[in-house]
Amino acid sequence: MAKDLDKKLAVGQGLDRYASAVGLIGALLSTLGFILAFVLAAPVNGASVDGVEMIGGQMVSNQLLFSQKIFYFHMPAAVTSMVALAFTAWFGIRFLTTRDARYDLRAKLATEIALLFIIMTMFSGEMWERFEWGVWWTWEPRLTTYFILMLLVFAYFILRTAVDEPERRATYASVFGIITFIDVPICFMITRLIPSSVHPVVFRTDSGLSPDMLVPLLLSMFGMFCIAFALYRLRLRTETMAQEVDAIKREIDE
Amino acid sequence: MNKPSTFQQYVTLLRKDLQREFRTKDMLSSMGIYALLVLVVYGAALSQTARQFDVLQMSGGLLWALIVFTSLLGLNRSFSHEKENGCLEGIMLVPLDRSVVFLAKATSNLLFLLVVEVVVLPLFYFFFLTTTQPASTWPMLLLPLLVGTIGIAGIGTLLSTITVNTRGKDVLLAVLFIPLVYPLLYACVSATTVVVAGGDIEGVYLNALLLAAGYDVIMVLLSWVLYDFVVSA
Repeated sequence: MAKDLDKKLAVGQGLDRYASAVGLIGALLSTLGFILAFVLAAPVNGASVDGVEMIGGQMVSNQLLFSQKIFYFHMPAAVTSMVALAFTAWFGIRFLTTRDARYDLRAKLATEIALLFIIMTMFSGEMWERFEWGVWWTWEPRLTTYFILMLLVFAYFILRTAVDEPERRATYASVFGIITFIDVPICFMITRLIPSSVHPVVFRTDSGLSPDMLVPLLLSMFGMFCIAFALYRLRLRTETMAQEVDAIKREIDE
Repeated sequence: MNKPSTFQQYVTLLRKDLQREFRTKDMLSSMGIYALLVLVVYGAALSQTARQFDVLQMSGGLLWALIVFTSLLGLNRSFSHEKENGCLEGIMLVPLDRSVVFLAKATSNLLFLLVVEVVVLPLFYFFFLTTTQPASTWPMLLLPLLVGTIGIAGIGTLLSTITVNTRGKDVLLAVLFIPLVYPLLYACVSATTVVVAGGDIEGVYLNALLLAAGYDVIMVLLSWVLYDFVVSA
């Protein structure tokens, strides 16, 4: 049993050998996704203009949203952060059942990745908000729940620094990681629960996305998954090595 | 000698908390005074606007802000005195299911919060709402008040058990508690506001109440399951 676990949690084989390559592929795919978002996906109709107006040298009756291109970055990053948080909760459960510190390390790293993608989402969302809604901040349901998610991830790290004993820190962090995950489905479902939300419901069978929009979106989403995975594995290897070095140092001191 | 039943254990633990509170009046007095002081701060905050805007529309939000901050104070204290004389270790030595400890502690926190709310609600009315006429549906606000307080007590008990063992516990409890309780707070504020200020009772009130109750069920169950790990860490 313990040997199986050791084998499963080993770092440096299979998965890690290709981690950098996967990261590179992810970067290429998401870049391709962004480029396609500009060349392939049709512009989206925005707010309709009163009558016919002259915009950019063309007579149009409604304004095409160029800033909508941010969607191909914004939404994949948001989904990736949520997936990362699911892994935090999963590793939290694994830690509580096995009491193996390696799971706690994994939970922490998954949360770090989640934080990275949450910041990317908030940043791109903030730009969209400023340019399209004309405000810096509004208490819109999706926005609020995602903001809460960010605060919870901050709280996770604050909690970690506030406890000294490793075993106790790992338990508290796992428990909090599991509770934090409650907000993820709430954030995901909120556009369905409160239809007044300005955010569209993207995941549905009759999704309004035409193939020319879906392809770039899926490409960049898949690319971001790859990037997140690669970052996570590389971080994991670094941390594991650092721990090994620490252990060796302690041995030498004794 | 027979082993006491789980329910007897629960009652004993709960009685211990209530007895302690009855003798020292530690939590109730500090929470009560704190709530009164928050009302005074509201008085200053609203002093320049009271004539021009409809205070009824804000009353739900103000009331819940008061409850959240007061309960933070109470939750912080509920475990610190267990820590002082090693009482928690004493309880942990007894061979009982840890979730009973959670239920007893959550119930006593809930009772203290409800007592404070019973005192604060008339005071809130007295200070801010006598100049206006609350909608006739206002007694319905008791239900969101109860549902919200159950959620606060449940999740707050788990979090205060975590933070009592950390550095800077007072701040940390707020950092963990406020974001987690946000969905509940949102639902309770909308349910309270609609019955006090009047409006689409059927649509808003029931939906918000359902949301709050669902949140309660999930959070209390989760806290209950996870409590064992936290308290024995």
